Amino acid sequence: MSDAAIRADGLGKQYGSHWALRDCALEIPAGSVTALVGPNGAGKTTLLKLAVGLTRPSEGSIKVLGLVPREDEAALMPRLGFVAQEHPLHMGFSVKDTLTLGRRLNPSWNDEIARKRIDHLDIPLDRKVGKLSGGQQAQVALTLALAKQPDVLLLDEPVASLDPLARREFLNSVMEAVSEREMTVVLSSHIVTDLERVCDHLIVLSHARTLLAASIDQVLASHRLLTGPRGGDDVVSRVHSVIRESHTERQTSLVVNANGHVYESRWEVHELDLEEIVLAYLGYRALEAAEQ
Amino acid sequence: MIWLGWRLQRTETLIAAALLGLVAVVLVPTGIEMAHAYSTDGLSHCLGFTKGSPTCGDVIGSFEQRFSPYTALVDWFTLLPGLIGVVLAAPFALELERGTQRLAWTQSITRRRWVTTKLGLAVGSTAIVASALILVLVWWRQPLVKLDGRMDGGAYDSQGVVILGYALFALGLALAIGAVWRRAIPAVMVSFVGYFVARIFFDTWLRKRIASPSSLTWRASDRDPLQLFHSWVISEGPSDSHGHFLGHIKVFCAPGQGVCAFPKRPDYMHALYVPASDFWSLQLVEFGMFAGIALALIAFAGWWTLYRE
Repeated sequence: MSDAAIRADGLGKQYGSHWALRDCALEIPAGSVTALVGPNGAGKTTLLKLAVGLTRPSEGSIKVLGLVPREDEAALMPRLGFVAQEHPLHMGFSVKDTLTLGRRLNPSWNDEIARKRIDHLDIPLDRKVGKLSGGQQAQVALTLALAKQPDVLLLDEPVASLDPLARREFLNSVMEAVSEREMTVVLSSHIVTDLERVCDHLIVLSHARTLLAASIDQVLASHRLLTGPRGGDDVVSRVHSVIRESHTERQTSLVVNANGHVYESRWEVHELDLEEIVLAYLGYRALEAAEQ
Repeated sequence: MIWLGWRLQRTETLIAAALLGLVAVVLVPTGIEMAHAYSTDGLSHCLGFTKGSPTCGDVIGSFEQRFSPYTALVDWFTLLPGLIGVVLAAPFALELERGTQRLAWTQSITRRRWVTTKLGLAVGSTAIVASALILVLVWWRQPLVKLDGRMDGGAYDSQGVVILGYALFALGLALAIGAVWRRAIPAVMVSFVGYFVARIFFDTWLRKRIASPSSLTWRASDRDPLQLFHSWVISEGPSDSHGHFLGHIKVFCAPGQGVCAFPKRPDYMHALYVPASDFWSLQLVEFGMFAGIALALIAFAGWWTLYRE
């Protein structure tokens, strides 16, 4: 594995008496496209804000490209692209003014990338940002982040407010950008299906803690649903880590993160898709759905 | 960043400039009229302590009466520096209210640069507009200053550098409140009220205490002493020979009689006053106090924005 683009260690953020993020340790490999998944309030936005230096850790540390956000602001910010959840833009600015803002505030700005993208998306340059659709606004915000030619791109719930078509277009834009330029991308969402198509790494956050952080291939390869007669799951749990279990009168179902290969003649082994795995981690009753 | 800061402050700067234009629309024609009347009435012969010929009293009286509606109006212009300050503080609070500062902070510039540019532009534009206001007011009041001096309340605070101090104070107050509250309209309104209260406190209570007034006792039968000419008289009244004010003059009425005996004229008069020559030192001290508080408030606004998130 190559160097970590983002590394957090014992990272925590407290607002008043409430911990928005706690004890977070993770490494996001350089060049990966990582989905940061978790329910609302899990700490995704806090993690991204800490990475971009919009807020400071209460405990632990986070480094992006080996630099400490906020402290090494001048060195880090030119290499970091960020699109906030509500993608704040100046609503009274025209699209053209917004691009001028990007050009004026970023020494590494590539105007050609920006113009091409806006042109390609058929967004009129002289239209006021406030008059654009939500999807177009998100695209303008993404353009601002991409034309800066960042090494790390952080997108906080970029598609949450978009309709399915705009969602698709937005994610296509991200994929296109990744194919054109080597960079590390982190996208957060509370719905994994949004991101599955785009990402190669997965981090599951819940209740301010990291539950899972691995490459998606690895996650898919190692998670299995076992169904079998009731009882006897303690044998399984000795070898594999059980994420979720459910029992009916006769049958037991287990979602496991398998430690090596699973052979247990008593268990029927099923493959799981990414959404089912994430839901198992987040504690929803995915198993019932899978059983039917 | 200067481009962005200016782009986001354009509207408010235009509002402040329009306010200044409105002032000019009132003051330029009346100022010309007043200067014209001053020379045609021959008021220049009536200047000085002796007030020239006996007709001078009437001439000055009718001149001042003619322009009294304007001077009354211009007395209200003492609110303008406050208005200019709070209006030019609005872009800062508005940006924090809308959360668009995060857009700037996630570009390549540092937060410190953002904060200093925003605050610097606010201070700069306030200083320019306030200075223009000073020029217009000083030009307008010239004839009146020649006649009455510039130590009296209405004249004093529409002349000189204190106006700049007032405007910066209002700006600083609105910036500090806006930085903490992050709501533009309430911050602007509250700080304008704050400006008004601070001005009233300063004008009615503090100024005469920092001015360290002189006192003077003279025989009531003499003409008014030279020192009082164009000065700011804080209090004046009959006194004993040591300068103790006599308080209320008692009127004796014999019981049952319709006619009362009035006391004789007091022998001495006493006054507490700030001489006209103290104008600039008093202005500088007052400017220093307002501008100093303004600077502290602006620094606080910057610090709060930089470190409280």
